[in-house]
Amino acid sequence: MSTVAAAGPLASAAEVPLLRARNLHKSFGGVRAVSDISLDVPDGSIFAIIGPNGAGKSTLLNLVSGIYQPDSGSITLNGHNLSGMRSHRRVRLGLARTFQKIRLFKQLSVLDNVIAGFHVHHKIPAWQYVIHSAAFEDDQRRCREEAVRLLEFFGMTDRLHVLAGELSYGEQRMLELARSLATRPRLLLIDEPAAGLNAAEVDGLLDRIRTLRSQGVTVVVVEHNMDLVMNVADRIMVMDYGRHLFQGTPSEVQKNPAVVAAYLGGELS
Amino acid sequence: MSDPAITRGLGKGSIVLASRQSRLILAALAIIALPLIFTDTYWRTNLMICAINVLLALGLDFILGYTGQLNLGHSAFYGLGAYVSTLLIVKLGAPFWGAFVAGVVFAGLAGIFLSLFAVRLRGHYLAIASLGFAVIVYQILLNWISLTQGPLGIYGISPPPAIVVGGTTIVDFRNLTSFFYLVSGFTFLVYLLLDQLVRSPVGETLTAIREDEVSAASLGINGAAWKVFAFGVGAAIAGAAGCFYASFVGTLVPDAFYVSEAFTILAMVIVGGMGTLIGPVFGAILLTLLPEVLRGIGDLRLVVYGAALTFVVLFMPGGLVQAARFVQEKLRPGGQKT
Repeated sequence: MSTVAAAGPLASAAEVPLLRARNLHKSFGGVRAVSDISLDVPDGSIFAIIGPNGAGKSTLLNLVSGIYQPDSGSITLNGHNLSGMRSHRRVRLGLARTFQKIRLFKQLSVLDNVIAGFHVHHKIPAWQYVIHSAAFEDDQRRCREEAVRLLEFFGMTDRLHVLAGELSYGEQRMLELARSLATRPRLLLIDEPAAGLNAAEVDGLLDRIRTLRSQGVTVVVVEHNMDLVMNVADRIMVMDYGRHLFQGTPSEVQKNPAVVAAYLGGELS
Repeated sequence: MSDPAITRGLGKGSIVLASRQSRLILAALAIIALPLIFTDTYWRTNLMICAINVLLALGLDFILGYTGQLNLGHSAFYGLGAYVSTLLIVKLGAPFWGAFVAGVVFAGLAGIFLSLFAVRLRGHYLAIASLGFAVIVYQILLNWISLTQGPLGIYGISPPPAIVVGGTTIVDFRNLTSFFYLVSGFTFLVYLLLDQLVRSPVGETLTAIREDEVSAASLGINGAAWKVFAFGVGAAIAGAAGCFYASFVGTLVPDAFYVSEAFTILAMVIVGGMGTLIGPVFGAILLTLLPEVLRGIGDLRLVVYGAALTFVVLFMPGGLVQAARFVQEKLRPGGQKT
């Protein structure tokens, strides 16, 4: 209902955001994990969500990606209403994500992990899965090449045939990003990508997120690493106890006394 | 961007392809040669049971090894395929191949029915549900006496009709060798189809669901739909095995499809190597022939059988395939690990 209003003529007069959420609520038992959250993520931007542990950031991401359905509120992606849509359907609208707790296909090779990400992009009739034609082999080769290119972007070309479960922690993070990009997303949700990475790896991650934006991918990132957030984000939303606390540019967030009190503490003062 | 990794990968792929084709030709030759080498009825019967068990193991492996669905009720699909096809022939006088298709379709539909539970239940819960399904099917076969004749069994089931062209019999399936070629040829065809399927993107999709369903969904994979597919295919294959079994043995009693049969098939898949196609083939052959070979030592064979199974589960979770890879690596000059 509110979706109609969101995508209506009033909204289109201004720049229509790629992702728009209105008044999202989600409770687990008596705990209000997400309470009255609204956000607009403009196309081509990097949007960061920060907040203390348990602030509801990951729950918000799970609402957007469809792992949870909101108790109330609406989410639209590029004008499409996501209400009630299951997560695998959202991928076809250009939504991809990574997980806070890494979820790779551990028994598959690095290359096959990424190839599995092409699931929605195979353009071959079903019978050719059994009788492999030239068109089928072409499709396989294209996927393989694109997968290798993605892994090249993340500096993993020498690890193609290693099982994903045997990678280092940092490499697993990168592989998860590469796999999610195989779906060719317009909007990429990244849940704490810097967790467990060393300083050099975080730098590499920063560069890559910027490169992705320059290629037209909109990024929503949940992160604890302030270096990363302050350096890369166009806008930051601060959450606390499931509620919206503040929203602004990195410098505005750093100056805001409520944010400093709730989250950053004395660190920046 | 000359992508050395891609060319290397594709080069490797074509070598694999060449050896794959030669392996398949070798397997076909073995199927043709076996009944010519083993000429007595006892061993030809064993070969036949091997072919049927390979079929069962392949079907279960598709559900369990590839899609990761803990199905402990495979005996139910086997039994349904056997009884549906046989009853159609015996009670309604349906032609053999029509009844065969009906048995396969019915078993496939039963698989789809069970998969609807798999959509909701995971791991141990699905295992219990599928086990329950197998018990229910067995009890129905046993107690619906007006239809199945229960423990009394159905006797005198004929083999498939002979192929007759212009009044002369070309192939007569009362001949054990011909019947073996029919069943093993069908099994070979099923293997080829599954092999093509798992080497297509379907392979990655199913294993993705096995490895992590949430993460598979985040890549646009509809886990529920693919589980229905895997159960349907695996159960239909078991249905075909059931139909062949009934027409081969000529007698149908519910005890052939008791729950223990599901565990025997499960053991074949595990001993062979889950998530590979070649593993369950050898697992099925080994566990069919091993009790026959050990028959000489009486009841002690059960101990040997059990010990072998325990050994595999404890020390070789990848089954025969893992053992073969291990040996291959040891033998390779330089012994470099890949």
